[in-house]
Amino acid sequence: MALLEVNGLTKRFGGLAAVEDLDFSIQAGELLSIIGPNGAGKTTLFNLLTGFYRPTSGRIIFNGADITGLKPHCITRSGMGRTFQMTHIFRNSTVLDNVIIGQTSHSRIGLLGSILGTPSARREKKKVIEKAKEIISFVELADQEDKTAYSLTEESKKRLSIALALATEPKLLLLDEPAAGVNLEEMGGLMELIGRIRKSGISVCLIEHRMRMVMSISDRIIVLSYGRNIADGTPEEVANNENVIKAYLGGYRVAQC
Amino acid sequence: METLKNLFYSKTTAWLLALMLAVAVPPLAGGYLVSILILICIWSIMCFSINIIYGYTGQLSLGQAAFFGIGAYAFGILTVKLHMGFWPAFLAAVVITGLIGFLIGIPALKLRGPYFILVTLGFSVIIGVVLVAWVDLTGGANGLAGIPRPNPVPLPWGGQLSFDSLLSMYYFVLFFLLIIMVFTHRLISSLLGKTLVAISYNETLTESLGINTMSRKILSFTISAVLAAIAGVFYGSYNVVISPEIAYFARGMDVVAYLIVGGAGTMAGPILGTLVLMAVPELLQVVPSLKTLINGIILMLFLVFLPSGITGGIDTLWAKIFRSRIRQYGPARG
Repeated sequence: MALLEVNGLTKRFGGLAAVEDLDFSIQAGELLSIIGPNGAGKTTLFNLLTGFYRPTSGRIIFNGADITGLKPHCITRSGMGRTFQMTHIFRNSTVLDNVIIGQTSHSRIGLLGSILGTPSARREKKKVIEKAKEIISFVELADQEDKTAYSLTEESKKRLSIALALATEPKLLLLDEPAAGVNLEEMGGLMELIGRIRKSGISVCLIEHRMRMVMSISDRIIVLSYGRNIADGTPEEVANNENVIKAYLGGYRVAQC
Repeated sequence: METLKNLFYSKTTAWLLALMLAVAVPPLAGGYLVSILILICIWSIMCFSINIIYGYTGQLSLGQAAFFGIGAYAFGILTVKLHMGFWPAFLAAVVITGLIGFLIGIPALKLRGPYFILVTLGFSVIIGVVLVAWVDLTGGANGLAGIPRPNPVPLPWGGQLSFDSLLSMYYFVLFFLLIIMVFTHRLISSLLGKTLVAISYNETLTESLGINTMSRKILSFTISAVLAAIAGVFYGSYNVVISPEIAYFARGMDVVAYLIVGGAGTMAGPILGTLVLMAVPELLQVVPSLKTLINGIILMLFLVFLPSGITGGIDTLWAKIFRSRIRQYGPARG
């Protein structure tokens, strides 16, 4: 059974269909990339999957349950983590505090326990901090734990935003352009990180424009154009697909970059 | 030596010093000063109320004066008309206001940014009108008189603590202010508090991390309503008379000004802001009608030149003086 199954997903903003009649699935353990020209509806798709937008029609089945129309925090708790295109992090908090907040959705915290500092609340806090530190060393930011997030480099910010999503303990991780704005060497580091995330048993869905990255790490690629799925297959299949070449290059075949 | 020096310059020392002053000075001062100090404590509690919902959770509410008014009137009606004792009426007033805050919060907090601010402002105006118009219950524009002081508390070693004198009333209010400060500190340093601050930084991100931001915001708003009600009860009890003006929305804005001048989202901000904006005009014997004008000018100056407030200014100054221990402070929230 597929981990994520999307059937006939459509989102219209007024007359404009940002995503139209989309069908696809993600298998457990798979790395699926979503590519497409700007405005193809990739980020809209992420917002639909994670509950930030309500679909006009269609169904989203995740992990065997229908999650269509659920609130974002419920979807996250059901095991779908995400990052944002604009690298959302808590800029004024330390790296550790950032990840701690990502962890809290899994801890039971009541008002009374928090105020009185009951043993169970203290245990809970200790557990969360330990777990957060584990995740921070997993994304290789352990030496920058106490730094304020805004003072990090662009690549470290990307790593931190991934750490935040990982802290929610997802089964499926949606990454929205993790390699935007980093140099080639840093991109290699991020690819290595994504590889390790997969090894730990988390499926990944990736939106990315850097073709070198997409072609080398994806199991499967789907291509969106004007909200429609125009191709679905392995990197080689997609790279040779006539529709894709047309959508990207207006009909001319040029070497991949 | 170094640890001694660190201790001397630490924030704990500053807090202890402030506490000692707050306890030791009033008996030496005259009744006039004590009465101002009581009001400063009460408005500081109000400031902490706004600090929870705005300073830490990032949702600017201009409706806190309404909760202040509801708390004061609920307490006044229960004691004066229904002859309840101080403590049960205090508890009931706080619970009633908390409940109203909870119910208002559910629809209001669905809105973000300026829309939420407008709803709270509207709520405050409505409560002000209700207090004037519902004459049977509230006494209308004449207000309510004869609100009692706290009942004496029996002491474990015999005798009792009574609150008849101005000075004892001051210590009573100061005691509750301290409790509220400890409460705020504990809340904010807990995991729950961290998620509140996270909402103020980035609500979308917080929600994407599996945190039910709506319920956290409602909780924060309810707590802020409860704190405002406590301030309202104390005000009624201290002032003996209450009138609809206390719930006037501009009062809510005044307190927002205190908080911003003091430093929103900090522990010292509410107290410093209230001290400066209340004590300065009082001590300079400014004409009451000019007070709002002066407050407005001070607020604007702070927003332009020192948006992180007095506390932010002190932190920056501190960092400049002791360069060896510079820490990076984010804007406004310490």
